[in-house]
Amino acid sequence: MERTPIIEMKGIVKVYPDGTKALKGVDLTVYEGEILGLLGENGAGKTTLMKTLFGMLHPTSGKILIRGKEVQFKSPSDAIAQGIGMVHQHFTLVEVFDALHNIILGMEGHGLFSKIDVDKAKERLQKLMDDLNFKVPLETPVEDLPVGVQQRIEILKMLYRDVDVLILDEPTAVLTPVEVEELFRVLRQLKEEGKTIIFISHKLNEVMDLTDRVTVIRKGEVVGTVNTSEATPQLLARMMVGRDVVLRIEKPPKEPGEPILRVENLKVRGDRGEVAVNGLSFDVRAGEIFGIAGVEGNGQTELIEAISGLRKVEEGKIYLQGKDITGKGPRELYDLGMAHVPEDRTHMGLILDMTVTENSLLGLHWRPDFQYVKGVINWNKAREHARSLIEQFDISAPGTEAPVKALSGGNQQKLIVAREVSKEPVFIIAAQPTRGVDVASTEYIRNYLVKLRNEGKAVLLVSADLDEVIQLSDRMGIIYEGEFMGVVKPEEVSTEEIGMMMGGIRYEEIRK
Amino acid sequence: MKRSGSELLKSINLRPFVESLIAILVGFIIGAIVLIAFGYNPFEAYYWLFHGALGSTYGIASTLKYATPIMLTALTFAIGTRTGIFNIGAESSFYFGAIAAVIFTNIWDNMVFGLVMGMLFGALWALPPAVLKVYRGVHEVISTIMLNWIGWFFVLWLIIGPYANPNDPNKTIRIPVDARLPEIGYGLSIAIVIAIVAAVLTYFLLWHTTTGFGMRASGMNQKAARYAGMNPKMAVMLSFLIGGLLSGLGGAMKIMGEGPGYAISQGGANIYGFGFDGIGVALVGRNHPLGIILSAIFFGMLRAGTALMQVRAQVPLEIIKVIQGIIVITVAIPSLYDLVKKALRRGAA
Repeated sequence: MERTPIIEMKGIVKVYPDGTKALKGVDLTVYEGEILGLLGENGAGKTTLMKTLFGMLHPTSGKILIRGKEVQFKSPSDAIAQGIGMVHQHFTLVEVFDALHNIILGMEGHGLFSKIDVDKAKERLQKLMDDLNFKVPLETPVEDLPVGVQQRIEILKMLYRDVDVLILDEPTAVLTPVEVEELFRVLRQLKEEGKTIIFISHKLNEVMDLTDRVTVIRKGEVVGTVNTSEATPQLLARMMVGRDVVLRIEKPPKEPGEPILRVENLKVRGDRGEVAVNGLSFDVRAGEIFGIAGVEGNGQTELIEAISGLRKVEEGKIYLQGKDITGKGPRELYDLGMAHVPEDRTHMGLILDMTVTENSLLGLHWRPDFQYVKGVINWNKAREHARSLIEQFDISAPGTEAPVKALSGGNQQKLIVAREVSKEPVFIIAAQPTRGVDVASTEYIRNYLVKLRNEGKAVLLVSADLDEVIQLSDRMGIIYEGEFMGVVKPEEVSTEEIGMMMGGIRYEEIRK
Repeated sequence: MKRSGSELLKSINLRPFVESLIAILVGFIIGAIVLIAFGYNPFEAYYWLFHGALGSTYGIASTLKYATPIMLTALTFAIGTRTGIFNIGAESSFYFGAIAAVIFTNIWDNMVFGLVMGMLFGALWALPPAVLKVYRGVHEVISTIMLNWIGWFFVLWLIIGPYANPNDPNKTIRIPVDARLPEIGYGLSIAIVIAIVAAVLTYFLLWHTTTGFGMRASGMNQKAARYAGMNPKMAVMLSFLIGGLLSGLGGAMKIMGEGPGYAISQGGANIYGFGFDGIGVALVGRNHPLGIILSAIFFGMLRAGTALMQVRAQVPLEIIKVIQGIIVITVAIPSLYDLVKKALRRGAA
């Protein structure tokens, strides 16, 4: 069957002002009515390519053809006018507005006093939702809606603008397994309706599951395009990283030792005063990775902050090696053998404007090894330390005196892990240790966590990446609204059962 | 060791220095245009400006004398900026330093005592905004502006009232002879040396101590600082208090080190405005204590050269102020450096 290309991108080159060559002559063809997967590691250029198509970035050279006609987009509104819409990884919703107003935002008329015809917009939107069997509550403020629904609003926003091509940038990153299924159902239906979908992802299973064809990008170049039906996850992984990836982590069996961290009946409040952690009890033993799985926002952040001394404990006790550490601050905790890879790399783990040396000293700066006399920092020692972290962890950095923001996300994360490990902890919290990190660094970090476990450290792993928790954990607790729905060994339960617990069903009820 | 040496060299970033130099140059060029527009000869005017500032021992002494108070108030602003606060309270801490010097040297005529009391009272006046910021979240710009005014009128009352000189109603009582700062020559006292030492100590504090590391970290990212076991509240507190100490020292030395009066003029004319000028100095000095030494001396030059520029080239003081203002504004344009660099590159190609 002769298919018509709806989008052709030819020889797209994008050089950023700082000289980074993000795209090195990319050709991409998208056919009408297909779901095309755009697969690649973080930093491969997927998002850059799509932002070029959406008119947010201007290619340094190259051509874009829509239905055979060359176009030049000055801004996203030009792209939308040509029927191309994009849903970003980070939502662009006004949180206090409801869905209706978010969707019509920008289409309300641009005269100084033009009237917004809300009723008419609502009617049209209702019809659109009915036709697609794709519903969102229109009159609830967006901030009160779950992430999955917010994403649907973003999609509707584009559909409302009559786009034919929908670009979705890592849409599943923030969703629960159930929400992912729902999203896929909607996307398939949109395809039935004749829409074309470009699905950006780095998750092999999703691409295998959803797409018709897959184009793989690596380091700003197209590696190849394959029909999904002829592809295997192994093949795609190889194309994506240019070598065989160990998708499974080597984890020898190990008998865990004494409990290192013990949490008893812990109750912690969130920022808005709500009970975020509701009477949790668990322990993490030496030589064990204890994983916490769950949809984000179910108390994980508050739990970590309470354990690491950054948030007030409402009720309950925390013990480290038998010592009561409830209410102690980070500094004392580090001295007692805790280390913490925080979930928010750029806002907590690092100070982006400081140098690699300065960052590798955070939380270690009061140690006598790094001081001439008490209170006076020995920067020579600090630089040596930074250099040894860079070497040991194979961090690619322009130098120890470069600002840490010059490092890629993966290397920043490696630096944090390196620094935390250099504290020689007995207990380490790893929160979202591989979020937004490229495959190679992910593999490195995961193996390193296992290594720490093998050395007899206690590791508390908190991650939104379910595969990660399942692969790494010796035991895992599934958290839902601040409580464990079950504490299980990953090999003893099915993914489906974990999914059910993440959705709020207790293990006992499932196994009844 | 060699490797670490070269890396250390690389770590010294000359870019801010070059940026400020370019800004100064642009300021002078625009200033020249202003001068031409008003019918003055810019070459003549600038010649006398520099001649007045650097052409004689007296000129150099004047330059350094003028540089002293603004160096210290600039340090106050810079230490605030480095810890993430916009502290414009240097102005009133300066008043308190000055009046405290007058009051306490007349109780015990000891120089060190006078300086210490000046510093203490400068810091004392920085305490309310610090406490309000740390415990109540009151924005420091609001609180310091208010306290500048409160401080101004309070000190003015002290000048006119209890501490007016009964024999010379135009001034406060004088600093006793034994408490005055020794003179180096040409009206220049050792105040400049103390100010430079203060700048170097501030640099050392911020970049070579754990306390300073914590302060800078808090200034850039409070969350990360807290995570790293630092105390951002303490950092903000210290920043206000050290800032107050420095400006208080500036105020004390202004009166204790400047003859022949060694007293605050009636109406506070010789203690007014240094805190605000310090903001400009800090900006040109890129909020770096060592940069501030240079930039304060540069501002001192502009000020010292004014006399000859007025007399010989007939340029009014106002025009000189305009040029100073333009320089501060050009420094505040962050992309100026890149623009000039690009223009140069295009010119070369």
